[in-house]
Amino acid sequence: MRSFLAKYATALAGLGVVIWFAATAPAFASAANFTLILKETSFLAILALGFALALVTAELDLSIAEVASLAAVVCGFLVHSGYPPALAIAAGLGVGAACGLANGFAVTVLNVPSLIATLGMAAIAKGLGFMLTQGVAFVGRWPADFTGLARGNFLGVPNLLWWLILASIFAYALVKWTRTGAHLVATGEAEEASRLAGIPTKRMKRLALLLTGLFAGATAVLLAASLSSAAPNMANDHFLYAIAAVLLGMTMFEPGRPNVPGTLVAAFTLKALGNGLILSGAPYYVQDIVLGAIIVGSVALSAGALGRAAFVKRLSFRTAQ
Amino acid sequence: MSVLVRLGAVTKSYGAVEALRGVDLEIRAGDVLALCGDNGAGKSSLVKILSGAHAHDGGVFEIEGKAVRFASPQDALTRGIATIYQELAVAPRLSVAENVFLGSELVRTPLPFVSLLDKKRMRDEALGYLKRLGVDLGDATRPVERLSGGQRQAVAIARALRWDARVVIMDEPTAALGVAETKLVLDLIRRLKDEGRTVVLVSHNMADVVAVATRVAILKAGRKTVDRPVAGLDAAALAQMIVTGREAA
Ligand SMILES: Nc1ncnc2c1ncn2[C@@H]1O[C@H](COP(=O)(O)OP(=O)(O)OP(=O)(O)O)[C@@H](O)[C@H]1O
Ligand SMILES: [Mg+2]
Repeated sequence: MRSFLAKYATALAGLGVVIWFAATAPAFASAANFTLILKETSFLAILALGFALALVTAELDLSIAEVASLAAVVCGFLVHSGYPPALAIAAGLGVGAACGLANGFAVTVLNVPSLIATLGMAAIAKGLGFMLTQGVAFVGRWPADFTGLARGNFLGVPNLLWWLILASIFAYALVKWTRTGAHLVATGEAEEASRLAGIPTKRMKRLALLLTGLFAGATAVLLAASLSSAAPNMANDHFLYAIAAVLLGMTMFEPGRPNVPGTLVAAFTLKALGNGLILSGAPYYVQDIVLGAIIVGSVALSAGALGRAAFVKRLSFRTAQ
Repeated sequence: MSVLVRLGAVTKSYGAVEALRGVDLEIRAGDVLALCGDNGAGKSSLVKILSGAHAHDGGVFEIEGKAVRFASPQDALTRGIATIYQELAVAPRLSVAENVFLGSELVRTPLPFVSLLDKKRMRDEALGYLKRLGVDLGDATRPVERLSGGQRQAVAIARALRWDARVVIMDEPTAALGVAETKLVLDLIRRLKDEGRTVVLVSHNMADVVAVATRVAILKAGRKTVDRPVAGLDAAALAQMIVTGREAA
């Protein structure tokens, strides 16, 4: 029982939140509202899964939102200018991956701590986004080939959710079932011991940061397709949410470790919470305050429950070996 | 006995600090070679060269007569040299099986081009390696941080068996251990020797050296000053040699 609670207490709390809003907030429990929450969860969770992959190797990527915005702008620009959707999609993913690659280079070759390297990347991506758009958004009637990525259903399930399912399976299978995944985890758990055991820890960090960028790119393409627009700050609102989802996710399933099921449950819980707060008539700023409390509370809970240095070290400011 | 590893006039500096000033050393098959010397004598520096953690600056480094230069710990492992660092021997939050197979995980290929971790086989085989060392842990899914210090060393040594290392190097494996745990680690070293493996043991504990080592090399200020069989020595005589840097009269 104790170990069950240690693993699922926060997930149960999330369930409690959902039940509470279902009982108190008008329209919360409707099918339409749930679909809305699930769609919102999809963007957030894909971005968060990317953040989680970097964190698995004990690196922070604070550039995810700005990179996603930049990728959305590039993708949106190409669609807007009439280029084939496939090219625009590839460009969006490519921008994300390129930024991730650059982050990996800064962290493992230039030995800049990821906290700083990705903060720098965030500023650069933001600047580039505004440069490309001159501060305005690309909006228009975009081809259905492109917007269909994020709109519509397949087998009765929203397309967005399918993308999330795919991203989740990929991340889960990679981390849990493959040798590369074992090396990613080992790098994050004990970098020096792993290196001495022959694991190419720097390459693992580069791979993780590359994937983080790629996931940010995927989020960007879906956001642009869903909104039929692209603006240089469009992913900003997802930044704190994504970090909160990963950290809250670390309190469940595999306490103390970034994990896929935890991130998914946490992302849904956070979106349900945000949605429920709005439907209950709470002012918009309450969301931010609650989110901040959840971020700090999650880390306190994980670190406290584990009582170990490893977790805190994972999040602390340090240089790559 | 055949010479597995030979160092000739090996030097290593860290900036202005000359940690090794021309060390000759032969490691022969079947030896349990104790590497002794005061703090800062250069023991760990020597170990790092042997293990591929650092490259040597000058001199020769040969394995079975062939010159080598390791660029990474991986190089040393593939040449049959496994090193167990006291602090960094294991990843504490990973399981026993994950630690034994750290860096050399087993996979199975259920479909062409699909290779997945073979967790079950790793669990079973990890326990098998530990049994060979005379340690019964029962559950290979336990995180290593819940094991005793001696058991952790056993897990690290099991990894060396997994690599089928011919030379197992241990840098102060008993430094933080109590009496019973120290005995366990010494038993592990004897098992390695009985399996026909060669052991290099860095130690400040003369009783340990006398108990398990066949040969002792003493370093002083980056030079080797003593290299002789352990037979006929006691702890006090060894300690004396470390202080004076000479063989006792
Ligand atoms: N990474 C490093 N950078 C600078 N100097 C170093 C480094 N590693 C070791 N040294 C220096 O090299 C010399 C030899 O150190 P080494 O660690 O090899 O000694 P040791 O015999 O293992 O000592 P101990 O018994 O204390 O472990 C010392 O003067 C030490 O300060
Ligand atoms: Mg030392």
